Amino acid sequence: MTTDAETITIEVEPATVAGETVHATVGRVERLLVALGDRLNPILVKETRQSLKSRQFVITFTLLLLCGWVWSLLGVALIGPGVYCGTHGPTMFVGYYLILAFPLLVVVPYSAFRSLAAEQEERTYEMLSITALTPRQIVRGKLGSAALQMLVYLSAITPCLAFTYMLRGLSFPTILMVVFYVAVGSLSLSMICLFLGTLPTEKYLQVIVSVLAIVGLFLAFCFGCPIAIAITFEGEGQFRDADFWIANAAIMTFVAGYFVMIFEAAAARITFASDNRSMRLRAVMLAQFALWAAWMTYAWVLNKGEEGVIYCFVFFAVLHWYATGAMMTGESPELSLRVRRQLPRSGLGRVFLTWFNPGPGTGYVFALAGLLGTLAIAIIGIVLGDLFPTGHNQFFHPDRPFWFAAMGLCYAAFFLGLGVLVLRAARRRMPVGIVTAVLLQAVLVMTFSGIPALIHWMSDYRDQSYSLAQIASPIWTLIHILSDGMPAAEEPLLITLVPLAALAVLVANVPGIVKELRFVRIAAPERVAEEDADLAAQKTPPQPTRKSPWDDGQG
Amino acid sequence: MIELQGLHRYFGTTRAVEGVSFAVAPGQVFGYIGPNGAGKTTSMRILATLDAPTAGDATVDGFSVVNDPDRVRHRLGFMPDFLVAYPNVNIQEYLDFFARAYRLRGKERLRAVNRVMGFTGLDKLAEKPTTGLSKGMKQRLALGRALIHDPAVLVLDEPAAGLDPRARIELRGMIRQLANDGKTVLVSSHILTELAEICDVVGIIERGRLLAVGTVDEIQRRHQDPRNLVEIHVLDGAGSLGTWLAEHQEVDGLVVDGRRVQFSHRSMPEQDAALLRAMIEAGFQVVAFGTRRQSLEDVFMQVTKGLVQ
Repeated sequence: MTTDAETITIEVEPATVAGETVHATVGRVERLLVALGDRLNPILVKETRQSLKSRQFVITFTLLLLCGWVWSLLGVALIGPGVYCGTHGPTMFVGYYLILAFPLLVVVPYSAFRSLAAEQEERTYEMLSITALTPRQIVRGKLGSAALQMLVYLSAITPCLAFTYMLRGLSFPTILMVVFYVAVGSLSLSMICLFLGTLPTEKYLQVIVSVLAIVGLFLAFCFGCPIAIAITFEGEGQFRDADFWIANAAIMTFVAGYFVMIFEAAAARITFASDNRSMRLRAVMLAQFALWAAWMTYAWVLNKGEEGVIYCFVFFAVLHWYATGAMMTGESPELSLRVRRQLPRSGLGRVFLTWFNPGPGTGYVFALAGLLGTLAIAIIGIVLGDLFPTGHNQFFHPDRPFWFAAMGLCYAAFFLGLGVLVLRAARRRMPVGIVTAVLLQAVLVMTFSGIPALIHWMSDYRDQSYSLAQIASPIWTLIHILSDGMPAAEEPLLITLVPLAALAVLVANVPGIVKELRFVRIAAPERVAEEDADLAAQKTPPQPTRKSPWDDGQG
Repeated sequence: MIELQGLHRYFGTTRAVEGVSFAVAPGQVFGYIGPNGAGKTTSMRILATLDAPTAGDATVDGFSVVNDPDRVRHRLGFMPDFLVAYPNVNIQEYLDFFARAYRLRGKERLRAVNRVMGFTGLDKLAEKPTTGLSKGMKQRLALGRALIHDPAVLVLDEPAAGLDPRARIELRGMIRQLANDGKTVLVSSHILTELAEICDVVGIIERGRLLAVGTVDEIQRRHQDPRNLVEIHVLDGAGSLGTWLAEHQEVDGLVVDGRRVQFSHRSMPEQDAALLRAMIEAGFQVVAFGTRRQSLEDVFMQVTKGLVQ
């Protein structure tokens, strides 16, 4: 090396330029990452920081790696020389599945539950709730954090899964399918657990829900294992069958539908009281019903008008509207000024969209409309089945599915209406919420079904025949219609009394429904309108104005 | 900027807040005084949109806390009487999280975190975990979190509770500075002498009802006992001075405590001078003679009845 200044400059220059280029690139990447980080959900950022330092994550991650490593050694040792020629992929895969499924189906969802429940217990949630984060962002952040944990665990076990592929006997689609389903299961359970985390406010309830969550997750893990094993050993053969994929698509549709519904329910639980917490949920309920009807129509066409498809459709549709209706009847009958600012104005809007407004009366009518829709679709199916007999439905009895659907509707309408009336009376004395409404429905159904059954069995436990006493029992009546058709002796009374009872509670509910319909749209307060106008002005650039006929307005 | 209009909050049969109304203007510090269980925290929680009133409303910058809580939250910083920190999070990360939660991005967020850490004196503890902080530091952090989005309105619930004298003086300075910056400050405290020093307006609440509102002077004038409190120190014979006073003057609440005699009486300065002269002429060896007006504490004791619900 020379000490000449000029030479030094020549020697250093290329390195400096290269260094600057690297520096600039690193700087650009860093800026990009910072900008990306800014877009991320704040809760995801915070919880990732917390998780990486938390003992629970470190222990779970270490155990996962350790178990994967031990199983790899143990499995290969047990297989012995057969590892070179045999098809031992599935056996090894099942072991890795169990190692992966426990953190994914138990640890991750329970962490999601604790994450939200602990915020409420320790009152950090209060500070979170008064920030600019929306309830949906809070739920999304918690869910994102669970998804990230899941991905970290998944990435840790990925080399092991790749190893099973090399052991032969296991196709790549099978591995992908099992991993996909366990990931979907983990996310879905995390979503349910997050919803559970929003439920309890009292300490004792938190403990109960916590225990229920753990038990539920263990059960999910136990139920998941045989399914995963079945796919691992027998999945390959199913992949060429179109029905297999159609069934999977149907399952995924329902999972997605209920995932969105639970997400919306969790967000609604933590939304402030004066906001509209019902409209989105009702839209999701309707979408789910439409999806169910579409899939069942497809199944009905595929099975050439099979009667069983109609029963299946009616049973789950009535259950859907009854369960969601029970929740809707627990809503407050008062509309906040905030909600009243967003009420539909036009005649058509009031006719069709009013039922999406929060309130027990509108909720009751919304559920009734869904039940009537179920009956209408069932009738179309019955009529078409009767008009176009096929080999599959040659013993078709049109009256049986009709009465099953009609009686199901009447019972659901009766119980929901009765629930609304009871809750309206209860509201005068104490605050009533959605949980109370759901519990009330459970009590009503159990009372109306349980007492007649108890009396019946107390008089003669061997007698299982239908009698007039069971008219009040939806469970016994519907099972009887499903298995034996309408009971001949009781039919006239049954088709008179049950619809009349449903109609009577509907009429009794009319004043309450009308009261809710009387709410009309009100103008936003001056201050709100002022701010909205300012915000709108900020978003819209000023329009060029023409000052003279020769002015092109471009300035 | 803050306005409470006939605010009511009932918990079953307990009337935590009953018809409370007052307003606080920008740049003002409003001291909310009341015994434990008076309804201070409940009204502050309603203002912070953490609770909903049974009846009435409150507005922040014209927005209702009931119907537009989202708009209120952008304008209001709330410091509760507790700070529960997140585990595995240091001070900088904690403030960064709340800055993100208030939608501050990039350099704006960095500036906000640094500004708040500098203001609260937490900049040297940026890497310290939030769970291991002292009470004073936690209070500073809670104040920092309330200030992170630079709100126009601050609601501080017992910010000085559990602080040492130095931290208290520093906090007082911070609150005064915030008010000087044009922020509307609603602060509750049990330490009345402190409130008297920093508050422009004071509201006294008991059993959910607002008993008095006004500047400290106004309330003192309104509830002022026309009598002065007189305190005399003598070398000896405090007992006989007490007997002499009871015989010669119209005095109330006479207390003899060692060499100190205290009482209240209605008098003008000239009458006090005459009384002092008469005592000396009667042979009492007076070391100190002082009169004082009622303090905020005296007024508070007079206005409230010490009732809790």
